[in-house]
Amino acid sequence: MKACIVVYPGSNCDRDVYHALKYVGVDVNYVGLDDSLDGCDLVVLPGGFSYGDYLRPGAVAAREKISHEVRRAADRGKLILGICNGFQILIEMGLLPGALLRNSSGRFVSKWVRLIVEDVDTPFTRNFKSREVIKLPVAHGYGRYFKTDSAIRVVFKYMDDVNGSDDMIAAVTTEDGRILGMMPHPERAYEKLLGGEDGLKLFTSVVEYLRRNAS
Amino acid sequence: MRYLNILKGKLGRDPDFVELHAFAVMWSEHCGYSHTAGYIRRLPKQGHHGNAGVVDLDGDFGLVFKVESHNHPSAVEPYNGAATGVGGIIRDVLAMGARPSAILDSLHMNSVIGGIIEGIADYGNSIGVPTVGGELRLSELYQHNPLVNVMAVGVAPHGNILPSKASKPGQVMVVFGGATGRDGIHGASFASEDLTGDKASKLSIQVGDPFAEKMLIEAFLRMNEEGLIDGAQDLGAGGVLSATVELVARGGLGAVVHLERLPLRESNMKPWEILISESQERMAVVTTKDRAERIIEIAKDHLLTAAVVAEVKADPTYRVFYGDKKIMEVPVQLLANAPEEPVSDYVPKDMPDFRKVDFKVVDAHTVFEQYDYMVGTDTVIPPGLGPAVMRVKGDGGYSLLTHSRADLAVQDSYWGTFIAVLESVRKTLSVGAKPLAVTNCVNYGDPDADPTDLAAMMKALEDACRFANIPVASGNASLYNTYGGRAIPPTLVIGMVGRADPKKIVRPKPSNVYAIGWPDFDVERERRLWEVIEYLSAKGAFVLAASSLVNVTHVKALRRLGLKLNVDVPRTEPAHQMVIVFADSVKTDVPVEKIGVLKWM
Amino acid sequence: MSKYRFAIDVQFKSSVRDPRGETIERVLRTEKGLPIYHLRLGKSIHLEVEAENEVEATRIVHQACEDLLVNPVVEEYEVRTL
Repeated sequence: MKACIVVYPGSNCDRDVYHALKYVGVDVNYVGLDDSLDGCDLVVLPGGFSYGDYLRPGAVAAREKISHEVRRAADRGKLILGICNGFQILIEMGLLPGALLRNSSGRFVSKWVRLIVEDVDTPFTRNFKSREVIKLPVAHGYGRYFKTDSAIRVVFKYMDDVNGSDDMIAAVTTEDGRILGMMPHPERAYEKLLGGEDGLKLFTSVVEYLRRNAS
Repeated sequence: MRYLNILKGKLGRDPDFVELHAFAVMWSEHCGYSHTAGYIRRLPKQGHHGNAGVVDLDGDFGLVFKVESHNHPSAVEPYNGAATGVGGIIRDVLAMGARPSAILDSLHMNSVIGGIIEGIADYGNSIGVPTVGGELRLSELYQHNPLVNVMAVGVAPHGNILPSKASKPGQVMVVFGGATGRDGIHGASFASEDLTGDKASKLSIQVGDPFAEKMLIEAFLRMNEEGLIDGAQDLGAGGVLSATVELVARGGLGAVVHLERLPLRESNMKPWEILISESQERMAVVTTKDRAERIIEIAKDHLLTAAVVAEVKADPTYRVFYGDKKIMEVPVQLLANAPEEPVSDYVPKDMPDFRKVDFKVVDAHTVFEQYDYMVGTDTVIPPGLGPAVMRVKGDGGYSLLTHSRADLAVQDSYWGTFIAVLESVRKTLSVGAKPLAVTNCVNYGDPDADPTDLAAMMKALEDACRFANIPVASGNASLYNTYGGRAIPPTLVIGMVGRADPKKIVRPKPSNVYAIGWPDFDVERERRLWEVIEYLSAKGAFVLAASSLVNVTHVKALRRLGLKLNVDVPRTEPAHQMVIVFADSVKTDVPVEKIGVLKWM
Repeated sequence: MSKYRFAIDVQFKSSVRDPRGETIERVLRTEKGLPIYHLRLGKSIHLEVEAENEVEATRIVHQACEDLLVNPVVEEYEVRTL
């Protein structure tokens, strides 16, 4: 089982995801824009400010060469996780529906938020309990989820209004549950020392899912 | 230029046009430290390097840190002024060979200036360095001269730490980063002027490009990892001129600079403009000819421009060419050593009875929550409850804080500064950390009009650091913070780092709450208070060591942890020796009073 | 080949809420007392295209908008020559 973290110019949570995946014992490596994703069972698009987010968050990164590889991995049914800027990139690529717009406050927001786990039938959330309330950090300026599709699979919802998202949506997935895009940062909550470890369950869910399917 | 006659004397002739521009920059207070150099020499120093201070953290790792001001640019154009301030101090830490790992700010202003906060937030958030807190002090005394001081810290194995100089003839200097434009021409000399009148025009303002900075950080660390860098200096005030002069001046060497080689962003730039341009997100590295090619390659891989712009020479002369045309030739040491103003000896008076000077109190979370304080996953204590504590992955950690007492210093600049240092020690001890070193930023009015308080602040810094037995590892000065001739309060901002053990960090939990210590100040008792803080913290008590004892930011921070504070805060003098302790019971021989409880909400 | 200059105005579709625009409008109206309504905060992109003729240049601009500059999910745009 192997995980790959795509490092875009301007990604800045790549190392954080790396540490979190290492922490749960995953074989993980970084992937550049010209690399292949062959052999990756889990592809992570990390948070950050790819290309400075200068046009729209994720817009330029979504059109990089590596996107073909990400699409190819998606077609082959590999698991894909986009966190924060990675979620924005997945949306700009059209792999997930909707749009992520400027927070309704007009400001960047960085804090711990309470979330409800809405869907525990994805490879990413099987270790959570249905409707479980968890705490994860958010840190984004463009996290307001704008819904364009009424039949979407929502995975996490905010318990309080954080950024003006439609239906308080914090994370969505594809019909088959194999591509997850989320604004909160599970990789920042894998150890008690950091103030919480609710993010850990997401990573152990993926690891157990992949181990089971590999054997 | 104030030092024109000195320059004429040293050169033995009238300076020409280019020299005038060059010396105006290099001998400005911003680059030359004319007014503070004499005082800095007297400080108990350790780990002083060109770009930032370095102290040992645990035998394997060095802690690199510095605080710097960007007051003048932030007064004129808050967003870009503050943003580029973050960029500059980050590059200072980076130039030492360390990955920047935390940012703290110290803000003094009349009311929260949205542009300044957004500038710091947008820049720091984008480059992925957590802004882990700081101090926010609001008073009308800073109405026209907001103070934006930013501290940055980085951690690196000792073997990765780089010198800030060229070491032998034959080396070359590569400048890489963003392309050069006309940004901030004469920003350095502008930063040393009163803010009224034409001088405060926006011509000098640089615009920040955090994406380029992020790429610069990754490119530079890559170069260092590959062992390509012999010495480094960031390009800030004074641009190519200042960086290349300082690199060779510290090595006792000379340089030949070729300006036509610099990648430009604007057309028709004059050679002298290229020489002193303050375009942001650029760095100069010293290397050898054979390794320069790889450096340029790495820069280009990171979407940056790069060129070998200078050669290091044995002859200690600074020669600048544009193509075949020589545009300047002067001794390196003449450029590098600004004339010094005489220092005055300040004799401290008895501490006065301080009256309460009201600074407005707001919940600083409105500011903190715009900062990504968690990126990097090393932030152990979130902003709002005292010093930040960071871990170093693998082992160990450190504490960091910024602190000042301008409310006292405006009444007595010596004692206000002295107490700020002592309180910084209390804060560091309160999170179970051991103070390692101090960095400082002197924010001052016009030293030519009144040098007394400057002398008093520097003397207080010296005395307090000797008293606490803590060295000063780096510093910065921002003078001429005046408007219409009126000065800001003498404001010395302390940045303190300490050695911390993240595993032993005490977090607030339901308990009794005690006020411990004395409501007034007597320097003779200070060490006793430190021992008590150290002891209680080691025993598992959570300690709050704040000038205000308990304020709205503390209450809100506790509420974010799900805790409700119910206390009667005792009255104290503005200068006091009291801390708040959260514990089930307290045994100590200093005065103790139970003042309330902390409960789950 | 000649150079042609264009301005592209990018606006959110009317179905998309624009809280920043609403806030600015509110400030102008309630605090400054100006009769201003329906304020929408978009962006304007100026660029230069090298092409054989204006028709070709216009085609290239529209291609840039559709490929990258505009997010058709929430934005719409107009091209002007400068």
